[in-house]
Amino acid sequence: MIEIRGLTKSYATIAALRGVDLRVSAGELCVVLGPSGAGKSTLLRCVNRLTEPTSGEIFVAGEPAPRTRAELRELRRRIGMIFQDHNLVPRLSVLKNVLTGRLAAMPPLAAALQLFPVSDIDIALFALRRVDLVERANERADRLSGGQQQRVGIARALAQRPKVILADEPVASLDPKTARVVLDDLRRAAHELGIAVLCNLHQVEYALEFADRIVGVCDGRVVYEGTPAQLDEPALSRIYPGLEAAEMSRAPAAPRRVQERIV
Amino acid sequence: MSRFRFLLGGAWTPRRRLTWMALLAASAVVLVWSARGIGLSVSELVRGLPWIWDLVSRMMPPNWPFLGRLVKPVIETVQIALWGTLLSVLLALPLCFLGARNLSPSLVVFHAMRQVFNALRGINEIIFALIFVAAVGLGPFAGVLALSIHGAGMLGKFFAEAVEEIDAGPIEALRATGTRPSLVVVFGVLPQVIPSWIASTLYRFEVNLRAATILGMIGAGGIGFELVSSLKLFQYPDTAICVLVILGMVMTADYLSSKLRARILAP
Repeated sequence: MIEIRGLTKSYATIAALRGVDLRVSAGELCVVLGPSGAGKSTLLRCVNRLTEPTSGEIFVAGEPAPRTRAELRELRRRIGMIFQDHNLVPRLSVLKNVLTGRLAAMPPLAAALQLFPVSDIDIALFALRRVDLVERANERADRLSGGQQQRVGIARALAQRPKVILADEPVASLDPKTARVVLDDLRRAAHELGIAVLCNLHQVEYALEFADRIVGVCDGRVVYEGTPAQLDEPALSRIYPGLEAAEMSRAPAAPRRVQERIV
Repeated sequence: MSRFRFLLGGAWTPRRRLTWMALLAASAVVLVWSARGIGLSVSELVRGLPWIWDLVSRMMPPNWPFLGRLVKPVIETVQIALWGTLLSVLLALPLCFLGARNLSPSLVVFHAMRQVFNALRGINEIIFALIFVAAVGLGPFAGVLALSIHGAGMLGKFFAEAVEEIDAGPIEALRATGTRPSLVVVFGVLPQVIPSWIASTLYRFEVNLRAATILGMIGAGGIGFELVSSLKLFQYPDTAICVLVILGMVMTADYLSSKLRARILAP
């Protein structure tokens, strides 16, 4: 579903990605592990082109890179994204936040006037039911707990009816119990809906528990690829060079990205 | 006897001490120079006190029946403030996006827009009113236009600053769903800025009401006309009523607007 070939990305003089090859199949939860600054976020953001790659090819559902703004929006429509800080719109209701996942498919003028097709509302409610939050649909999103907000984020991605979901540190700011609920939501989305899920994580134990496949990234390169069962000590020290196994689960969270221009 | 140590803003190096001495001396020179320029004089004030008292006593007792004559001007003043506010909101709404660094199509447009806002804000309502009285004639409409133009500068700046303060995270999330830019603004930007926009608009209404009370002095409608006429005709008891009514209007508007703003800005 996702096929990445020879992907590189450089920021001025710094190389964030130095030639990444990666495939994620439909229905698979693929977890990317790696230290802060390894290029995990950049890798994800290149897939939906929030970051423009320097070179290399990315195919999503067989489609090559978009050439126009319309094609770019069409590509993004098929890719759901989940963020560390959920990035819900505050003051909007839970349902409306999920409906924003359908905006690209709606008549724009009606949507701007807050008129939503009933079929899209149904899709949004169905997505909320999957994360068990349908009874909170009319509450303001910023009134929910952090874990619930993250699950609304998942519902928003599911409402896109995506082929691919990208999850960038989705549980980094959640407690262990909530984190497992969120990761379970993601795994079920992959297995039951046949979505290709590419998920960045910091915690090795979550990767071992939930991943179908683990990809280790270090210094802009893939240094490990295999099942959770195959992830042994030598592999871990390739992913986290110079870090003792005991420290791995406590690796620091990546700094928040600041975006200057927003539209 | 306890001992004290002078602690004010960090360590005092000799150099820093010298800088502050120089600044203090310079301020003193400027202030004395300005005092001479404006003829600041305590003795003048003391000599004038009986006259001020004389004026106040001539206002007493206020001419209460004059209140009836003020009903129409008061209503007109509120109407001027209302439409002055509405028109400045309508002007500021489309322009504020161009004047917000994170939404402006280019830095040139952004800086140009900010300068336009500054220019509109920089020119006093009374000056605009004088221009519009010349253009559309005496009356409240000139006042409304003056308030709209001046207010558009202020609201444009406030609205744009609200847009710049939004959290970029939700915006990125909306872009990531493939939503077109216009809908990103509707669903990502507006929900984040509307409380602040409403608060600024209420504040502007308050300012406009204050301004509308004096627009009449130059013939641009409102209660100011009655105030100036009563002064010119030496009808000081009428003046007293005008002042009291203006005070009442402004205080009511302040009170209501601050209450409403507090409610709207509550998280």
